[in-house]
Amino acid sequence: MTSNQAQESVEVLATFAVPSEPGNERVALREVAAVAADRGLTPDQMERLKTAVAEATMNAIEHGNENRPEVPVDITVLQTAGAIAVTITDRGGDRADNAPSEVPDIELKLRGEQRPRGWGLFLVQAMVDGMEVSTDGTLHTVRLTMHTDNAESPNGPDGNEGEDDAEQL
Amino acid sequence: MPSSCEVDVKRVPGAAILVMRGEIDATAASPLQSAYAETIGPDMAPRVVLDFTAVDYMNSTGIALIVGILAQARTERRTVAASGLSDHYRQIFEITRLSDFIQVYADVDDAIATTAQPTA
Repeated sequence: MTSNQAQESVEVLATFAVPSEPGNERVALREVAAVAADRGLTPDQMERLKTAVAEATMNAIEHGNENRPEVPVDITVLQTAGAIAVTITDRGGDRADNAPSEVPDIELKLRGEQRPRGWGLFLVQAMVDGMEVSTDGTLHTVRLTMHTDNAESPNGPDGNEGEDDAEQL
Repeated sequence: MPSSCEVDVKRVPGAAILVMRGEIDATAASPLQSAYAETIGPDMAPRVVLDFTAVDYMNSTGIALIVGILAQARTERRTVAASGLSDHYRQIFEITRLSDFIQVYADVDDAIATTAQPTA
């Protein structure tokens, strides 16, 4: 597929923003679920996309925009060829992305050797078929992709195709 | 932010049941931890059942709260079970490996029935 063909196959289904206040991830997941309904996702995929959107939005609110309500988290829902994609953008593009991500390990957590939190990015990666993170120094964007062209997602409950280059919740 | 989570404590022979309703997120910390604290005492049951039947949302912070409850219960040599998880949250329990440490049952009755069975 040429880049032109790829561009032509993208349809913007919705764009919206939520204030950076704790709890607004629920607003984001509801909006995305409404927009993505009847777009080829199975019920299981929809639940996984909702969780991924909620966790990525929480990350944007808390770590990207530092819980400042006046700073929006921008969300776009796209239909591409064979996939639903959601981009979640915050203003934390200059934050320390080079901080090593902590892979959550429940055994370490139960022994008190790792903080109880830190599941967010891990969940996002496990829920969706693809995750890409980009930054331009000002904006920080997470793009989540869920395939619609197959009954069974290649990223099942234990699957993980995502990239690991963002900080943990 | 006010909590939309409510937790009731029920007791049956051998188990304390934390019946959760609403959302298990950051705002659930106080009601969940307070409810767990109610189950602690000289005659505390050796088993804690977390009932998710009426939970409609749980996020990563909520998972961390569950990990905290599990960690505390283990220090008290109690076992923890979960009931009423949706298929999606069962999947999350598997992904996070919570299900390696928390026995998962379809409903509270199943969890209680298991509690009532003599152990080897």
